[in-house]
Amino acid sequence: MAKGKFAVLLTAVMFFATVGTVSAVDEIRVGTIGPTTGWATIFGEGALQGVKLALAERDYKFNGIPIKLFSEDTKADVEVMVTKLGSLKNRDKVHFIIGPSLGHEGMAAVDWGARNPDTPMLIGYSAPEDITMRKATYSVVRPGWTGAQVIFNFGQYCAKDLGYKKIIIVGQDYSYPWDQAAGFIRGFLENGGEEVLRIWHPVEAVDFSSIMARLASLSGEYDAVLNNSGGAQVVAFFKQWKQFGLDKKYPQILGQANVPIVSMLPELGDQALGVYSSLHYYDGNPSKANQKFREDFKKAYGHYPDVIAMQGYDAMRVAFKAMEALNGKVDDPKAFVEAVRKVKMSNAESPRGPFYFDSFGNPIQNIYIKKVVKKDGKLMNIAVKTYENVSQFGPYANMAQKYMAGPATTRDYPPGKKAEYFAEIEKWFGKDYVKNLKKNGGWK
Amino acid sequence: MFLVKMCILNGFTLAALLFIVASGLTLSFSLMRVVNLSHGAFYLAGGFVGLSVLNASGSWLLAIGVAGIAIAVLALVEERFFLRWARGNDLIETLVSLSIAIIIGDLVLVIWGGYPKTIKIPEMLSGAVEIPILVVYYPVYRLFMLAMALVLGGGLWLFLKKTNLGITIRAGVDNFNMVAALGFNVKRIFTMVFALSGFLAGAAGVVGGTLMMLVVGEDWRILTLTLIVIIIGGLGSLIGTAVGALITGLAYSFATAYIPEFSLFILFLPVAVILSIRPQGLFGKEAA
Amino acid sequence: MNGSDPRLIKPVLASVLTVLLLSLPWLTSDYFVMMTIRIMYFGLLTMSLCYLAGELGLVSLMQAAFFGIAGYFVAILQTRYSLPFPIPPLAGIGVAVLAAGLFGLLAIKAKGVYFLMLTLVLGQLVWALASQWASMTKGDSGITGIYAPVLFGFSAEKSKTVFYFFQLFAFSGVVWFLAALKRSPFGLMLRGVRDSETRMAMLGYPVMLLRYLAFIFAALVAAVGGVFFAYFTGLINPHSVSLTANVEALMASILGGINTLFGAVLGTGILKTLDVVLSGVTERYVLVMGVMFLVIIMFAPKGIAGSARQIWEAYKGKMLSFLALGNKTAKP
Repeated sequence: MAKGKFAVLLTAVMFFATVGTVSAVDEIRVGTIGPTTGWATIFGEGALQGVKLALAERDYKFNGIPIKLFSEDTKADVEVMVTKLGSLKNRDKVHFIIGPSLGHEGMAAVDWGARNPDTPMLIGYSAPEDITMRKATYSVVRPGWTGAQVIFNFGQYCAKDLGYKKIIIVGQDYSYPWDQAAGFIRGFLENGGEEVLRIWHPVEAVDFSSIMARLASLSGEYDAVLNNSGGAQVVAFFKQWKQFGLDKKYPQILGQANVPIVSMLPELGDQALGVYSSLHYYDGNPSKANQKFREDFKKAYGHYPDVIAMQGYDAMRVAFKAMEALNGKVDDPKAFVEAVRKVKMSNAESPRGPFYFDSFGNPIQNIYIKKVVKKDGKLMNIAVKTYENVSQFGPYANMAQKYMAGPATTRDYPPGKKAEYFAEIEKWFGKDYVKNLKKNGGWK
Repeated sequence: MFLVKMCILNGFTLAALLFIVASGLTLSFSLMRVVNLSHGAFYLAGGFVGLSVLNASGSWLLAIGVAGIAIAVLALVEERFFLRWARGNDLIETLVSLSIAIIIGDLVLVIWGGYPKTIKIPEMLSGAVEIPILVVYYPVYRLFMLAMALVLGGGLWLFLKKTNLGITIRAGVDNFNMVAALGFNVKRIFTMVFALSGFLAGAAGVVGGTLMMLVVGEDWRILTLTLIVIIIGGLGSLIGTAVGALITGLAYSFATAYIPEFSLFILFLPVAVILSIRPQGLFGKEAA
Repeated sequence: MNGSDPRLIKPVLASVLTVLLLSLPWLTSDYFVMMTIRIMYFGLLTMSLCYLAGELGLVSLMQAAFFGIAGYFVAILQTRYSLPFPIPPLAGIGVAVLAAGLFGLLAIKAKGVYFLMLTLVLGQLVWALASQWASMTKGDSGITGIYAPVLFGFSAEKSKTVFYFFQLFAFSGVVWFLAALKRSPFGLMLRGVRDSETRMAMLGYPVMLLRYLAFIFAALVAAVGGVFFAYFTGLINPHSVSLTANVEALMASILGGINTLFGAVLGTGILKTLDVVLSGVTERYVLVMGVMFLVIIMFAPKGIAGSARQIWEAYKGKMLSFLALGNKTAKP
């Protein structure tokens, strides 16, 4: 008996001597949540596959501590999601949760996070800016993106590099496209654009024909059209665009962030050639981290990953880096969140490029202006321009409080005409800001 | 003026698609008093079957035919093995069709995945032509849809008016027991009509999938639209279905052009208005 | 005490149930309490559907609309206009009842399958409003940040137990109300209408008015559920009024037994438990639910409660005499 105890003690001492500090947990419990059944399956499944890939890279272990994954399905229903967040926390006792993918889910998740500050959460693909702005809460970190963050510079690019003056945005009528439109308008009008006309249609439009007719009748006045929807609606939009001959009336379509993502390209076909858009990730990135991620993913799941999967992958890898800093002590939620917020990913570590977190828990990262090209017979996005270290506040990074004090984005805020727009920003950012804009002809 | 002309054309061509989908449903309802809630799922499954056939064979017409037949078989199975089980209790029959819709919807997700897909427009029907009197260019495919709906409407009308089977069906609509008493094999007629309804839904899926896209969830949207059409037109009336489709198509296309934010909501307005004036729909018979 | 007396079974069961429900937070975990709360608010939605089905013989696919309207008004009045506590829920229920008054005018003339189809479309109308009237409802992202009130010094937001008791109180109130309504002259007249409308009309009863009132009462029940839903989850979005929500309510009622209030609660309990358990096991959750739904409709259209009652009725005599056997010998 005594001998046995001594042996245990000895091994323990030897173990700690090699590891250095005390590992407090014998199992790391990770929760994931997202829609894995029903219409939104692709979002939840993509993120989950990314998480699993990151875990498999380390054999589901951290410094020898086994990692157990608990994945829950939301059915894209936030009531179910809130219930399951409760299951993960109370029943499975997870150390942290990798959060949901859809916009409305993210907003509900941060609401839950504020009520449950002892459960750290890393949100992936969900993009509403308020998750890390007006509703930000310490325990929720988003190694992802916001709708406006990735598109400020696209507005700038369209005004400066493409030289457009007047643009029409056609989009789905809900908060994500509103945010996209708002970010675009700020970048576009502040850099020389004159007008942005917004046309909103139901989230699930039945037919675009009358919108196409309207676009045709407006083609004399406007330079280009930006398609501001997602998924199946994009497929239908592109299709009717060609049927109504609009490809002859306008230059290539401009797309909001996730219009020409990997999974959409085969359906859009050659129609997608030349489409410009912007995002914090592009599939054609030649960096080693991205190539490895793409090939490993393909090997595991049989198809190339989307930005959705990249978010799951990155979220888990950020968590790993935080664990490294804490030496596996994930059972102290506060310390864990603190470690997560301090994580810096390098170009060699993340498929999207380098990034680190701002004080609200959203990454400061590269934004790429993407263009769809054909390489070896396959459509892919390449970067035609890179804007480095862009924060979720874009050009207003040093005026974050003023930005948040302004009215929330709606379907027609901020105004789309130059004069009205400038009068409005003068109210929130001050006369000097506007004066500087006019002097410099845009952002520096 | 240009926009108004286009909206009228868009309204008519959208109505054509709605008519193709809804005529099948109204046909099966008029005889069996069952609102087949799996009709939308039939549409979606048909579209995806057509897509697979097109990818394999390259023929769009074959895709329509095979999709129609495949869904007709599916409808036959539903009628023969599930609906017949509950015959006589139309509520139970409707609920059975609802559960089958749920099952088909998820099977479609298993087989074809959750990503949106689209069917390529056949070469012959792509592009636009100038319409003489209106002097506008208009997509050939949409005009083709309109022609298709007209042919289908005419065909169904002739079928119901001139053929023995059609006359029996119409008699069945008016007085079901009488037809059965006259010694017609009502069971077989039910099955045939239901299969025909499935054929139309499946074929419509290919037509609609070519016009727009196919994606999980489309089944319920199409079902809702179809129900709107036949509630306006009146259950069981072919002319009513055509008129209902026109009202719905035009309302949607004008709303999309002028107040796109509320186009979906506007769709429901004619329903409310017509119901408050004529609860049985424009061409429906009293007390459905 | 004679445990075998059939007249005693009901009160004994009822008091056991009452004790169980009242001591639930101390007997079980937080998690179980949370599930019970969910089952109660969704149970009210299901009950609303079952009430219509049982009393009028009509299956509605729009009860979630009233559930959602109440939830939305709680959310809007509280987060947007910061109105103090009793106003948002009362106004929410009031507006839901008004909406039922409006929709009832359109729907109540229809019968059978036609009613089902019509309510499906009207329910979709409410959904379209919720998702498109974005300046009010925030569209598809929905409204968050709804906090449950403090009542008599107890915060229902901070403690699940407190919330549980408030809801249990309201829930029991609604059950009592529905049970009383069923037994009242109004309930008897309604059943008369259900069984033979023409006869009741000939006897001079205001048939349409009776049906209309029943429709409004049903909406009221769903609305109470919606209020608790909004408070407990802290959010509301168009999913709550979607066709899926309506179909799930229908599934729950079919599962439990569409003609009884007890069946409504039972069905909701099973469905909402499966919701959490099943989707962790299989990605084909929807398929399994669909097949289960189909099997129940085809083989046990009265649901679990209905079937259990049928079996009970058939074997009641035998069971009772079996239970009573021991006592019979003791008692002369």
